[in-house]
Amino acid sequence: MIDHSDRLLMRPLDSVTSKQRVAYGLAFFVLFVALWSWATFGGHVSKTFLANPLTMVQEGYDLLAKQGFLFDIGMTIWRVVGGFALAAIIAVPLGVLMGAYKPVEAFLEPFVSFARYLPASAFIPLLILWAGIGELQKLLVIFIGSVFQVILMVAVTVGATRRDLVEAAYTLGASDRGIIRRVLLPSSAPEIAEILRLVLGWAWTYVIVAELIGSSSGIGHMITDSQALLNTGQIIFGIIVIGLIGLLSDFMFKAFNAWLFPWRLA
Amino acid sequence: MTTLRIEQVSRTFPARHGNAPTRALEPTDLIIGNNDFVTILGPSGCGKSTLLRIVAGLDRPTSGRVTLDGREVTGPGADRGMVFQSYTLFPWLTVRENIAFGLRERGVPEGERNKVADAFIRQVGLSGFENHWPKQLSGGMQQRTAIARALANDPKILLLDEPFGALDNQTRALMQEMLLGIWERDQKTVLFVTHDIEEAIFLGSRVIVMSARPGRIKAEINVDLPHPRSYKIKTTPEFVQLKERLVEEIRTEALKVAEHA
Ligand SMILES: Nc1ncnc2c1ncn2[C@@H]1O[C@H](COP(=O)(O)OP(=O)(O)OP(=O)(O)O)[C@@H](O)[C@H]1O
Ligand SMILES: [Mg+2]
Repeated sequence: MIDHSDRLLMRPLDSVTSKQRVAYGLAFFVLFVALWSWATFGGHVSKTFLANPLTMVQEGYDLLAKQGFLFDIGMTIWRVVGGFALAAIIAVPLGVLMGAYKPVEAFLEPFVSFARYLPASAFIPLLILWAGIGELQKLLVIFIGSVFQVILMVAVTVGATRRDLVEAAYTLGASDRGIIRRVLLPSSAPEIAEILRLVLGWAWTYVIVAELIGSSSGIGHMITDSQALLNTGQIIFGIIVIGLIGLLSDFMFKAFNAWLFPWRLA
Repeated sequence: MTTLRIEQVSRTFPARHGNAPTRALEPTDLIIGNNDFVTILGPSGCGKSTLLRIVAGLDRPTSGRVTLDGREVTGPGADRGMVFQSYTLFPWLTVRENIAFGLRERGVPEGERNKVADAFIRQVGLSGFENHWPKQLSGGMQQRTAIARALANDPKILLLDEPFGALDNQTRALMQEMLLGIWERDQKTVLFVTHDIEEAIFLGSRVIVMSARPGRIKAEINVDLPHPRSYKIKTTPEFVQLKERLVEEIRTEALKVAEHA
């Protein structure tokens, strides 16, 4: 064993303790707020363009306590979760079928690859025409933005299942259905969960865009309203809330995955 | 009664990317009788895995056919258990669940399944590891689990493709004794592929020597050493004599490979 610990602060792929990890992570936020304070309190950036951290906190409190911002947050979360769940329910089975059966893949892959590049936000005007400016339209934006991505990534994951495991299952007498249910699905499940976690993050960006246009509630709606009033404190607060919710949902997703797939960590 | 017949089986892998087609296996004949323990010995790349995969139904022969008890092999099935050269335990299942995989696929109820699995866990010496994940096992333990998984299905014939190839010598010797012990006690028809001469003699009732690529059967040697065999047999004159003979056979083949390379 070569011990370099006394010579170097870090080495490629060396691990850190969980305490260090938290400390490093917090350090970045401290640095970020410090820079922001320096720019705003120091007068380097005009108040009109960027509120200082204190104003932001005050505005945030005002939003939550007096302007019913919690309702907006709730609306946004419901839209993301709703649209995303709808997409997942359709995309995961389709992706599994595509990954497992090459003819299905040959049939759907070209279209899905094409549709994947269609920007969800470009559909908003069309969706408003079709579905009005109600909830359905918002759900559809998120749905369109997520569904093709999930299909394709799940298909690739399932298609990349270790062949030797599939062969082992066949020699143990597995039927084709057994191969899907007891090899392809369990071996891809952690990867599929990761895909869902990733795409859920993207869904957050779609929902805000959908709410910027033709909406009367939600975080995105609040941000457009604040823009009209030049209230950068509220805008920044809204953005930070989105980030925090994203962080939280990511954390929960990770913990859930770790609980669901203990064999990965063993 | 189990009889496996390999009749004029050959395999040529088609040309790809401008490479010439690979003739992996010349037409080969082999009959394996009930409770036979046949070992196939040959240098690397001589088509041992190819032959075994064809018997398992995972690959199709270019010509010829394989029959098990008169029925032609057209695909993989539970009547031919296989232990692979690489580690192929299902990582999401515990040791016990891995061993019970085939039983579950057949719809055996959980209680009975676990009883059978636990019996095999004891046989391969893995008591206490029932609920471990494959990741938590050493290579030797993983292959023992794989053997138990194949046996738990009670196949007519057990196919083993260099199952101990990746293990160190001591572990390998222990595993050989364990496998032979199971065979001596329970009687099974076994086809065992290896490139280790001692392993081939120690385990087999019959050693089939394959030639270098394209693979074909070059010699067939009966091993008349008495059972039960212990590791001590490896130093007896009879064993050493057989070994010398096989070393000679294999050496010429290995030389051919080296010349072509
Ligand atoms: N899927 C394949 N496509 C093309 N060629 C193949 C394929 N599988 C095997 N071969 C070729 O067939 C020959 C025999 O391969 P095989 O795996 O049966 O050898 P082996 O005797 O099992 O060797 P080892 O002891 O190294 O495992 C090799 O030359 C190999 O390159
Ligand atoms: Mg091989």
